[in-house]
Amino acid sequence: MARVVGSPQRISAGRRLAALAVVGAFTIAACSSDSDSGSSAGDSSGSSSDKALVIARGMDVNSLDPSRAYCDTCQIYMTAVYETLIGLDDDNTTLVPRLATAWESNAEQTEFTFTLDPTAKFADGSAVTSADVKYSWERLAGLQGSASYLVGSIEAIDTPDDGTVKVTLSASNSAFLAQVNAGYLGIMNKKVAEANGATTDPTTDKAEEWFLANSAGSGPYTLKSYAAGAELRLERNDAYWGAAPAFPEVIIKETPQAVTQRQQLEEGSVDIAMQISNDVAAGMSGSDVVVEQVPSFNFVYLALSPGAAGGEELTPEVREAIRLALDYDGLVDATVGGAGQPQASPIPNGFAGTDGLAAPKQDLAKAQDLLTAAGVTTLTLDATYPSLNVYGVDFSTAMQKVQTDLKAVGIELQLNPVEISVWADKITTDGIPVTMLYFAPDHTDSSQYVQYFGMLEGSQWQGWTRADPVPEQADLLDQALAEQDPAARADLYQALANSMIADQLIIPVVNPNLFLASRSDIKGMHYSACCNLDLARLSRG
Amino acid sequence: MPLLLLGIASIVFLVSRLTPADPLVSIVGERNLNNPEVVAAAKARWGLDQSVFVQYFTYMKNLLHGDMGTSFTTRRPVLSDLGDRLPATLELTFCALSFGILFGIGLGVLAARRRNRLTDHVARLFALIGSSLPAFWAGLLVLYVFYAKLGWLPGPGRINPRATAPDHITGFYTIDSLLTGDFATFKDSVLHLVLPASVLGWGVVGIVSRLVRASLLDEFSMEYVRVARAMGLRERTVVNTHALRNALLPTITIVAFTFAFLLTGAVLTETVFSWPGVGSYAVSASRKLDFPAIIGVTILGGVAFLITNLVSDIAYALADPRIRLS
Repeated sequence: MARVVGSPQRISAGRRLAALAVVGAFTIAACSSDSDSGSSAGDSSGSSSDKALVIARGMDVNSLDPSRAYCDTCQIYMTAVYETLIGLDDDNTTLVPRLATAWESNAEQTEFTFTLDPTAKFADGSAVTSADVKYSWERLAGLQGSASYLVGSIEAIDTPDDGTVKVTLSASNSAFLAQVNAGYLGIMNKKVAEANGATTDPTTDKAEEWFLANSAGSGPYTLKSYAAGAELRLERNDAYWGAAPAFPEVIIKETPQAVTQRQQLEEGSVDIAMQISNDVAAGMSGSDVVVEQVPSFNFVYLALSPGAAGGEELTPEVREAIRLALDYDGLVDATVGGAGQPQASPIPNGFAGTDGLAAPKQDLAKAQDLLTAAGVTTLTLDATYPSLNVYGVDFSTAMQKVQTDLKAVGIELQLNPVEISVWADKITTDGIPVTMLYFAPDHTDSSQYVQYFGMLEGSQWQGWTRADPVPEQADLLDQALAEQDPAARADLYQALANSMIADQLIIPVVNPNLFLASRSDIKGMHYSACCNLDLARLSRG
Repeated sequence: MPLLLLGIASIVFLVSRLTPADPLVSIVGERNLNNPEVVAAAKARWGLDQSVFVQYFTYMKNLLHGDMGTSFTTRRPVLSDLGDRLPATLELTFCALSFGILFGIGLGVLAARRRNRLTDHVARLFALIGSSLPAFWAGLLVLYVFYAKLGWLPGPGRINPRATAPDHITGFYTIDSLLTGDFATFKDSVLHLVLPASVLGWGVVGIVSRLVRASLLDEFSMEYVRVARAMGLRERTVVNTHALRNALLPTITIVAFTFAFLLTGAVLTETVFSWPGVGSYAVSASRKLDFPAIIGVTILGGVAFLITNLVSDIAYALADPRIRLS
């Protein structure tokens, strides 16, 4: 029953005490010096990690198990924690020693021998031996993770002694050294991995969860902690056998939005913002921040699938008409504000075989003539695409521009943006006549593009386009993989690039530049074709 | 309750499997979808090579043993993921609810005492905006104004990117930092809570204030209020001590359910503020069709509603002696 009358309730002593405690706590907090809080907006100091390198990026980590990891952030992580036998120089071309001091191959490119550096050791102090190399690569192949294709050609790995690794391939593969240079082929400590449940058999391997909290590599950093969707922390490997890295700790913070990355960089709460898009970079200024624009090897492409349901009218003539109808410079402007360039073939600018390839140009008159000759007056095509924003390219913006360009020659695209899981289901079942996707390299050899985009029997896009295989491409690739001479190999890849252009199935629409955004005191910012960003090369000064 | 949760899990399981989408893309990546060896290994590992019914019974059997499965994307047990992320969501939800209740009651009282005057109209407008404004838009707006432009408050995340999280005791950064005497981190975490909690709690302000206003106006017409006023008690005493206490009874139920809604509905706020809680986990799981994680979050939501329902009943009985628990 409610009280009707009475004197006002007195606040009890307990309540007063609780209130005082709360007020007191806030007061103490408020009075804490800003210099040690690391909290206020614009405050660039930190409480316990003053010298840590903080990186803002949208992480896409699928795993931290070196045999299962496959993502852009994984490339950074693997390079920092699990060293490869061979490294990549600043020019993104020259191979340099890492765990291996020397390597050689036979003339047929089927046998490769690596000599390990006897001073190389893991974070626990044990030596890196040939047994570790054999185990790492056999586990990568055995678990059939996404990067396992990189070791798919290995037939046998022999370890005549602790310091020598001899690899026999099932076929000639001149790209093998470039593949060895990929971060995914990093070497793990066999003894430590096995002690924590690792095997080379996917049905018995139990180590993935352990690898999410621990590491077993020989790199300059070790894993300190990982919280999915929040942060990845690396700490300096104090037992590192090479030159000690500059930072005691590296923190990669989950920051998906480019705008937030920019704000945090400008206020100094992070040192590097990794996914700054052109529109966000446009307004960045100030002496504390450096933004450099460099060409990348990433690209976004249009894919035409004549074998997909509804794509039957995508004959070679119609496909060529589509290629000629696109306004490539306009696409670069529309998607990345001009911060990029058109790309001639599915092998990106800068890779072997692309020298001298003419950039694609719009030719509406010729496109119209081709369509008229093919008897096509109006054509409506399903254009389902994954709703993504990759490398600063918004797929919806790009597809709308493509739609506008094609409308000028009487081709109507029915745009249908979907989640990538829905897109994946559709492209693997019915196929999609016109779609859009992206590609970033795993290593530095052109063969990966031919194996993915070429019309080779069973290749990814031969399967998705349902187009007939092109035997000429398989022959050219075999020759390139057997060729030792770089110049001759480049010629073969150029022939492959031209053959893929002639297919008119994969049409690159933009090769976006990369924005390297960092605080001005960060030195060594770079873009690596194999590894994205090599943390050991960064310093503050 | 267990039967209800099993029902929820069954429905979500079957609906998610009927979706015309392929979860393999989040496991092997789009580049390997045509790689038969990789696809076969992934299907075998995650049980996707089994029929839906086998998958269903396996999942239910494991669920009855407390195993919610392993997330496709984080590669960790879903139960561990939820355990790690729940404190962040609870901390945000408690703060949002506290903000919502305190301001909602205050605004409701003010509106009732100044009925049909300017204050009442302004309070109604404020409540209406809070209830109808999309959280993502409000979040972006306050981030732009208070973080990017004015620099008064910190941006996304639970603490400054450079700061180290306090030692894990409860998982609430505010409490853990206080317990460990780390007042700098306490201040940091409180400041980081202000914007997301305000955005999330604004909707609660709207609901509570309108409810309190209506209840108070009912109470004002009661005889005991007229008697109290006739006895010469100050208006503040009449309202705060007598009328408000009775007017708050219906609010208890609403607040309890609002808590559950906030807990499961913090999705957009957590996404905008990069808040590593259950909401952002749910978004990521949904986008990647991470079945185990989706079902885990749904079960958690179901548990939250059931518990808050129970707490609401108990609280109501405690607050109103006329109601007896049986």
